[in-house]
Amino acid sequence: MAKDYFGTTLSREEIEAKKREREEQLKLNNRRLGLLVFQLSWMMAFIALIIVNWQLRFSYPSWPPPNVKAMGVTLPTIATLALLASAVLARVALRSIKGNQLMRFITQWRTVLGLGGVFVVIMVIEWLSVQMGTQYGTVFRLMTAFHTLHAVAIGAYMFNILRNAQHAQAVLQGQLTNDGRAVFYHAENYWAVEAASRLLDFVFIAWLLFYVVLYWWRS
Amino acid sequence: MATITAPLGQGSTVAGKQFRVSDFLRWTIDHKIIGIQYIATSLFFFFVGGFLALIIRAELWTPAVDLLPSGTAYNTVLTMHGSAMLFLFMIPIWAGFGNYLIPLQLGAKDMAFPWLNAFAFWLIPPAGILMMMGWFVGAPEAGWTAYPPLSVAYSLDGQTLWIVALHILGISSILGAINFIVTIRNMRPEGMGWFQMPLFCWATLATSIIVLMATPFLAGALTLLLLDRVANTSFFNPANGGDILLWQNIFWFYSHPAVYIMVLPGMGVLSEVLSIHSRKPIFGYRMVALSSMAIALVGFTVWAHHMFTSITPQLRIPFMITSMIIAVPTGIKIFSWLGTIWMGKIRYTTAMLFSLGFLSMFVIGGISGVMLASIPVDIHVHDTYFVVAHFHFVLFGGAVFAVFSGLYHWWPKMFGRTLNERLGAIHFWMTYVGFLTTFMPMHWAGARGMPRRVAEYAFEFQTVNQIISFGGFLLGTSTLFFIANALWTFYNGKVAGPNPWRALTLEWATTSPPPSHNFDGMPIPFSDPYGYGTEEATAYIEAIESHYAPQLPKSSNATTMAESNA
Repeated sequence: MAKDYFGTTLSREEIEAKKREREEQLKLNNRRLGLLVFQLSWMMAFIALIIVNWQLRFSYPSWPPPNVKAMGVTLPTIATLALLASAVLARVALRSIKGNQLMRFITQWRTVLGLGGVFVVIMVIEWLSVQMGTQYGTVFRLMTAFHTLHAVAIGAYMFNILRNAQHAQAVLQGQLTNDGRAVFYHAENYWAVEAASRLLDFVFIAWLLFYVVLYWWRS
Repeated sequence: MATITAPLGQGSTVAGKQFRVSDFLRWTIDHKIIGIQYIATSLFFFFVGGFLALIIRAELWTPAVDLLPSGTAYNTVLTMHGSAMLFLFMIPIWAGFGNYLIPLQLGAKDMAFPWLNAFAFWLIPPAGILMMMGWFVGAPEAGWTAYPPLSVAYSLDGQTLWIVALHILGISSILGAINFIVTIRNMRPEGMGWFQMPLFCWATLATSIIVLMATPFLAGALTLLLLDRVANTSFFNPANGGDILLWQNIFWFYSHPAVYIMVLPGMGVLSEVLSIHSRKPIFGYRMVALSSMAIALVGFTVWAHHMFTSITPQLRIPFMITSMIIAVPTGIKIFSWLGTIWMGKIRYTTAMLFSLGFLSMFVIGGISGVMLASIPVDIHVHDTYFVVAHFHFVLFGGAVFAVFSGLYHWWPKMFGRTLNERLGAIHFWMTYVGFLTTFMPMHWAGARGMPRRVAEYAFEFQTVNQIISFGGFLLGTSTLFFIANALWTFYNGKVAGPNPWRALTLEWATTSPPPSHNFDGMPIPFSDPYGYGTEEATAYIEAIESHYAPQLPKSSNATTMAESNA
């Protein structure tokens, strides 16, 4: 038996439980800070490409260069809105999982992925339709490809979460037996979902910067 | 007698097991083993880079190209020397020290992300191998700065491997830095606020911030270079609308701060060693800590001084001013260190000698840095040996001296045995004299107009080049004494005990080497990590020593030594 800070007597088990809880909290704090630090860092790679875009403009009298067709803004604006909706909905889905609503989470997560898919498809169209032959086209393709690769990688991670959640749902409904490999997301285990949501936020913010630079910033 | 809280939790700590070589050859998530893996790998590449340096100096013994088959071969040796020293030795070795020391100094069990830590280390050997494989497919010959068009149009396939290797090393650095920041921010023990943290932690924190903010720029630049080489783009080719200065801008935005990645942790080592071995509190703790952050911040505003001869003249003045401003936080550190050892009870251990060596050499390197920041001087000595002298004074005279200081200081903690002091003194003095003989005359050669990166030079420079080469061979030989010392110590070294230097920071409040879980219970940090010379400090050190008494050599009398040294 021991006493805690306020003089309450605690059993050894209670002390161990408190210790475990503290360690779990520390683990979550570490993960959150680690991801934030990574995001701040990796954003610099996107900023580096914006600087590349800016410096390449000096080689031409105007931007887009003469005789080069500027990219239209309609499709990318739709893509931007789809990505924004996807990121917001991922936050909502995170709240569902924190509230132990797995069915609702799966529906929302499917929509998140669908909206992300819309974004990626538009990006592929944009990548293919830019007029090549000058640095305008090259740097456009570089930036959109760099960003879309990130979106696809994070999309793959999110798709994996969806598979896990669907598998867990099937186990819970008795359609599948638990082979020990099922991953259950719930109010006590939501870090993977939270991380995906935060990564999607990152993808959106990085895209917003690129969107302005690629489509609206002309000189 | 002041009251003192016992520095350790209840229960006795069993001494860490003695390591076997095989422990270091496999995947593990123990930060101490990872730290030593980093250090050993980096030292290996230090010897590779050093060997290449000796080939360079042997070639330059005469003004003609006679040892190497051609000037191109000379370029490849020079490129690999710089790349190995900077990317495979200097940057990873500080990650090694950080890995070993940060959790111990914070009283933690491990780093925040142990698995990620191991992963970051295991990226380095493949990257090193990839870079070295360049020798078999046509080594890169564009220098460590890889300026296009040299690195695009002239270098062979080894340059592509070099780019991929650097990409991998960059990822490793970023993962390591994330780990350091989270560990330092979240895992400090109770009672250790930001300003009770050891200064090595502050230095690592500042370094990690630079790594995180700058390395993605290197990744961006390398991606463009890779595409220009393999995907037929022309980002750096003005004939197709590219910009030749684009590489320099992006590359130096990373690489100038990278100089501080290589030097700041060394400054952290110095703060520890100078205070402990002169038995005095650090002079101006807060200023030393915050000046690291100031260096990290200002370091991002100076990159264009590497392009003084190529950028628009109007941009030169602002960059000259920022480059000179960075001497201010550096100067704060220098004066703080001088204040620390002033009237101290200095013990001339090898660790202390190397730190004093750093202090003297870094001041010279810093002053030549301010000279180079001045536009007229820079234009005069641009691309000459003066620049070579400057950065070797900073990176060898500064960082490498700090590496050796750190190795002599923490070797007892890492391996439980103290490195031989007599061999250490020989090592130091040969390094010191060899270093000065090598790099001091380079100032003269550069000021007289000897260009850098050449295998052939004017006959009038032969004498000075022979002096430099002689110094280089002396410097190379000095390293053998370190290797001999390390090997000798493994078998015959004096058992160190937990706290051979009577230090107050937490890494000394456990056995040497520490057990896998580092501490039993939560260690309680002393209120001032450099508060030597007080009764409380004496009592704290005594408590550590009595707790680990069986570990102490029989000849030492803990109480009297603690009293005389605290």
